[in-house]
Amino acid sequence: MTSALDTSASQTDSQGLAAGVWQRIQDWLLSLVDRTNPILVKETRQALKSRQFVLTFLVTLLACWIASFAVVGIAGMDVFYVASGDRMLFVYFAILAFPLLLIVPYSAFRSLATEQEENTFDLLSITSLTSRQIVSGKLGSAVVQILVYLSAVSPCVAFSFLLRGVEVLTIVLLLSFYVLTSLGLSMLALMAGTLARVRYTQALMSVLLVIGLAIVFFASFPVTEEFIRDGYTSFRDSDFWIGCAATMTFYVTTFLLVHAATSAQIAFPSENRSTPLRRLMVLQQACFLGWVAVIPILEPSPQVLPIVVTIAVIMGGLYWYTIGTILTSEWPHLSRRVQRSLPQSTAGRVLLTWFNPGPGTGFMFAIANLTMIGSLGLAILAWVGAGTFKGAGVEQAVYLIVLGWSYVVIFLGVGRILIALMRRVLFVSMAAGFLLHAILLLLCCGVPQIIFLMTSSFSAGSEYSLLQITNPVWTLFRLMESGVFSVDGHILIIVLPAAALVVMLINLRSVAAELQYQRRSLPVRVAEDEAELHPLPIPGPANPWESPEEK
Amino acid sequence: MIDTRRPLIELKRLHRFFGETRAVDDISFEVYAGEVFGYIGPNGAGKTTSMRILATLDEPTYGDAFVDGFSVVDDPDRVRRRLGFMPDYFGTYENVNVEEYLDFFARSYGLRGNERLRSIDYVMDFTGLDVLASKPVNGLSKGMKQRLCLGRTMVHDPAVLILDEPASGLDPRARIELREMISKLAQTGKAVLISSHILTELAEVCDKIAIIETGRLLAVGTVDEISARSEAVSRVRLRTLGASQPLLDWLAARSDVTDIIVDGSLVTLNHDGGPQQQAELLKQIVEAGIEIVEFASKTKSLEDVFLHVTEGRVQ
Repeated sequence: MTSALDTSASQTDSQGLAAGVWQRIQDWLLSLVDRTNPILVKETRQALKSRQFVLTFLVTLLACWIASFAVVGIAGMDVFYVASGDRMLFVYFAILAFPLLLIVPYSAFRSLATEQEENTFDLLSITSLTSRQIVSGKLGSAVVQILVYLSAVSPCVAFSFLLRGVEVLTIVLLLSFYVLTSLGLSMLALMAGTLARVRYTQALMSVLLVIGLAIVFFASFPVTEEFIRDGYTSFRDSDFWIGCAATMTFYVTTFLLVHAATSAQIAFPSENRSTPLRRLMVLQQACFLGWVAVIPILEPSPQVLPIVVTIAVIMGGLYWYTIGTILTSEWPHLSRRVQRSLPQSTAGRVLLTWFNPGPGTGFMFAIANLTMIGSLGLAILAWVGAGTFKGAGVEQAVYLIVLGWSYVVIFLGVGRILIALMRRVLFVSMAAGFLLHAILLLLCCGVPQIIFLMTSSFSAGSEYSLLQITNPVWTLFRLMESGVFSVDGHILIIVLPAAALVVMLINLRSVAAELQYQRRSLPVRVAEDEAELHPLPIPGPANPWESPEEK
Repeated sequence: MIDTRRPLIELKRLHRFFGETRAVDDISFEVYAGEVFGYIGPNGAGKTTSMRILATLDEPTYGDAFVDGFSVVDDPDRVRRRLGFMPDYFGTYENVNVEEYLDFFARSYGLRGNERLRSIDYVMDFTGLDVLASKPVNGLSKGMKQRLCLGRTMVHDPAVLILDEPASGLDPRARIELREMISKLAQTGKAVLISSHILTELAEVCDKIAIIETGRLLAVGTVDEISARSEAVSRVRLRTLGASQPLLDWLAARSDVTDIIVDGSLVTLNHDGGPQQQAELLKQIVEAGIEIVEFASKTKSLEDVFLHVTEGRVQ
């Protein structure tokens, strides 16, 4: 009897313990859902009820099953003797590419576009959700969809491994590639969704997006096939993994930058939308400089190094010119809200002022970063040429860096001045400013080209004259192709940097005006609210004998 | 903590231009806790534009607006926590039911756990949507959608409610119910700014009104104040106990009385003065020994005031 009671009691105890554990798990899950992004929760609920999602999921699943049966059926008994996993894997990834590279990114775009069409975006934007939370929620919804589609295909992918002929690493890398591509495309699609506010731009964006996604979709087939066939040969090559690491660095930093830019698009106008972007640009620049700095270690050959450095500097130059055209188109006045968070200390004002929004600080920010890349390039070349710049191709590379830097400074500086002059008489938006920069570049390239074509015979078409000094594309291309003397390099190396310095000095006036902004103190009502929201902790007793009340 | 001495809504010289069009042109007024403030104007007067600025969906060209002391330009995040905006469109989602819809907005306003559940229950109970909790939002009638939108507006218990044409398209019963809900909300200390074309609705529910036309504010105050300001002459009706002739003889000597119409013992006249002067007139008639059984001053309806203030320029 006693024994039966003991057994019963211990059973009750263990049941109670199990119930307690389950309760704790349930509470934890509930609190997790409670803290999950509301948009993710809502869109997951919507997706589970939506016909489009159910249909795509079933079609993906069915396509995988049919493909599996078909291939096994066709192979017959050979399936036991011939490795056919590689062929199967290609088929499965071709099926997976449809939802991942087409459906998920397009759904992300439509998700934002529908908010605009159905007038729910206004309702969403006046909630307590920040613009970053809105973008993250939409992106989270894309991630959930990716995971669901993967769950449909993953048993089939595992099956292809059992059929032999394919390595686990190949499968893992391909899956990662597809997931990251889908995520990256979804991010870009969301950005396109924020750019399209009215119906006709939405339609235009929609068409462009579909074309872009279709290109990526069809391009994924040869890439996948090539990787399945020969990818494994690269796994032992350290260059492959270095390439992967460099690509990931670029992917992650660009992803963060696009995320911040998308959030900035839907943030309210008085918010500081520029500084977070500039911080991420610096992060991306730091990663880029890091990779440039290790080039001499990875590729120490004096013949190859100048070429690699030149390519890196050209990429940096293009990047900062493009970014610079956007930064120099920013509005020159800081909102009262932005002025509340300006750096105050001397060190802060010296080092962090360049992160403040404004076209002047934007100009200096772009130039400073470009100078950093150029300086690093020159330092590497100096190291290669042992301080004499006499190594093979070193001289050309040095000229390219100096002249390229000068061109970027001149074009950004002149573009900024033009925008400032136009803003005296009419409203120039950021998009219009960007367009103005593009027109300036086209004019400077096109006009001398037309004059050249009209005055020269085609037989002498390859000759370079100083008329082309305003054409950076031709000048720098000729410099790389035919050397310093082919472009009167000894003249350009004096004229262009001097012109760049003059343009920079002219721009300094407006930069100085932007530096005049001082930090604005918090309004009393905001300070009261802050104190209410984040009260200062009550100081505890200073010694064991002091009671809290005395304090 | 709401300071009742501070206006919950304050517009300070608000301007909003769209190119050459002055949608809102120098508008200022204040709304305090517990007040229902009617915003009246013809189509295109600038009501929705100024409401959108208050709701942080648009920016003023000049001037500023404040909600509970926070600028809509500089602190929209703090304004949004204190404000519920019900626009003149629904804004609903596909494949979402009533409870999920309210749950989404409650989450979006940062409500967590039991606080969120309580809030949703309260809102569904208040708006009478509890019986439709699992019904898809897109399947609701217009009146129910309007209730749902009001529920969404108040799900985070804001101190300020801005309702743009909340009664448009509703049947009479739904209008009465909406009016009752708005009155209840004001009783809980909320400041309610409401625009409507249906002036009788506003007259019954509003403590104060503002009349706006072509972006400019024409009048602010209670209906009586605006009425008194806009037209000093009132129509007064008197009924004597016996014959009306003694009264007519007495009135003939007065310069503040005009347009006398006699119908037996009933005398109707125009009196040049406000309520104070009318009380004095009645006192003097009684002191003159004339027996009066009825004395009534015709109150102007909101339509009368609106038409008078806008000088009939209503589109």
